[in-house]
Amino acid sequence: MNTFSNVKELITALNREQKLLTEMFQKRKSLSYKYEYALDLVEGQDSRIQYLLERSVIRLNGNFLEIDDQFLQFFEQVLEINEEINTSYINENIQNIRQNIIYYFNEPNEQRKYNYLRIIKNTLRKLGSITLRNVVDLKRNIETTFKNEPTYKIKKTKLENLDKKRKDIAVLIDLTDKLIYEDELTFFKSALDEELNRIIIQLKIQVGKCTHNLIDIEKQIIDFLNQIKYQNNVIEKLRIIKHLKDQFILRTVTDFDSLLSLNSSVLFEPNPTFPLKLSLEYLQTDEDAYASIKKVVKRVGSSSTLKRALAEKISSEYLETQNEEEIQINLEEVKNGFVASGYNLFDFVVNYNFSKVVTFDERVTIFCQLISQYESIFEVTENFKEENEVEFAMVYPK
Amino acid sequence: MKVPPQTSEIFESLIKGQFISSNSSNPDIRKLYAIIEDDQNFEELYAYFRNINFTLEKGEEYFYFSRVENKVDLERKIEIAFRWIDIIDFFKNFDNSFGSGHRFTPSDILGRVKIDADLESKLEGLKKHTGKEKYQEIIEKLLSMLVNDTYIELENAITHQYKVLASFKYLEQLILTINIPEEVKNEISK
Repeated sequence: MNTFSNVKELITALNREQKLLTEMFQKRKSLSYKYEYALDLVEGQDSRIQYLLERSVIRLNGNFLEIDDQFLQFFEQVLEINEEINTSYINENIQNIRQNIIYYFNEPNEQRKYNYLRIIKNTLRKLGSITLRNVVDLKRNIETTFKNEPTYKIKKTKLENLDKKRKDIAVLIDLTDKLIYEDELTFFKSALDEELNRIIIQLKIQVGKCTHNLIDIEKQIIDFLNQIKYQNNVIEKLRIIKHLKDQFILRTVTDFDSLLSLNSSVLFEPNPTFPLKLSLEYLQTDEDAYASIKKVVKRVGSSSTLKRALAEKISSEYLETQNEEEIQINLEEVKNGFVASGYNLFDFVVNYNFSKVVTFDERVTIFCQLISQYESIFEVTENFKEENEVEFAMVYPK
Repeated sequence: MKVPPQTSEIFESLIKGQFISSNSSNPDIRKLYAIIEDDQNFEELYAYFRNINFTLEKGEEYFYFSRVENKVDLERKIEIAFRWIDIIDFFKNFDNSFGSGHRFTPSDILGRVKIDADLESKLEGLKKHTGKEKYQEIIEKLLSMLVNDTYIELENAITHQYKVLASFKYLEQLILTINIPEEVKNEISK
């Protein structure tokens, strides 16, 4: 396996593949970054991916690529987005300080002594910020777990584990406190220089902050765990009660009835209505009331008018023009002809040449019609005649 | 006796059997809650409503009314409590953390019903309380029942997001106070 021979080479390599690494880092949670996608980001040059693979910056897992854990942790820690809370790191630093203090005391050479002091200072500086970071991570993790973890049992266990982490951090803070205030008093007194002093004050402030935060975290975790327990209780109980209810024995085996009979909450009551009458005086005198009455009348009045029933549409058949011819008998003409002739009316009508075929019965009708219409110019005599079983009066023009 | 000017609003709301919850997204309700929560106001309101035979009850983050004398017959209460048991059971099954502060949309529920047969059968069982046939309509009806009783409220009309109010704890408390004899409990657990 090749390694980077110096920092410059490493940084150049990372810089060259920044596009790919940024993309992969953003998708680190999905665990499925395909080789083909990566090829697109290195302009199709397979050798560039191989270069990273050889130096263990990324790993090939089946057909997927992932950033090597070492680099992933490095990125996460530097960018302060790590989710793992690593207490061993704090512990290691504390041990480191202790060891270096021993070296410091046993080293006669001033130059080397100074080196050890430098390491101690660095570690002390790191210790404060690491602890604080861990506390912040812990707090964030707890909240995320409580809000986002859907499975109840896992949520509870996760929170309990995080609580353990909290205790670990608390222990480490105690250790740090002890280190500064008790165990290595000689060192801190003898090796005192301005910078170390400043670092220690900074560390003390950070440790104090951590302690306060931890107390708050403890409170929160207890609260969360209680809430979970409460929810769990409710669910358990609800399950049993629902079961009993479905078996129709809830009322008999539990104190359900007596409990409810003692409960006098208003929410069991039907919604109340208050049918209050309006004051007559108000209705008679107030302008607004009058306006309201008018409104009501308008509404009630308009709604009570009957809707007129509409006739159906006239069928177009009825609207079509149809011609029908009927031959009418012109009585005036018949009368004129009769007045000019010398016949009696009946014989005249019977023998009259109409423009259409007219039966005997119809002719009798025409006879009657003529008499009734032109009575004034006819003379109806008392003489009667009979023809085709019809008896008729002899009628002459005057 | 000096009562806050909002007393009539408080009365109007509580007399309908509704709750005044601290986590309502309606600022008017939150204001009413803040007024009742004030110790001095609470004492005065308590005494005031006591005169007209109502007890102002304080729950965990919510207020409601109870009568000094019981006015409702037991059968009605049992009927209502049974309905609640079915409804809470359904929603707790939909999401274990369904409780004060929980947010959800009807489509979340509908989505879960499609993949959870147990939940689906429970929803079927709720037909009798809602008189509806389609799942979506049953859920809508259930939600409107809960909204009317002020256990939940529509927080965002655009995304159709509902929020469970503090008053939901009243129902949980009701469940918790039911005393189940140990032997019955053991029998069921088996």
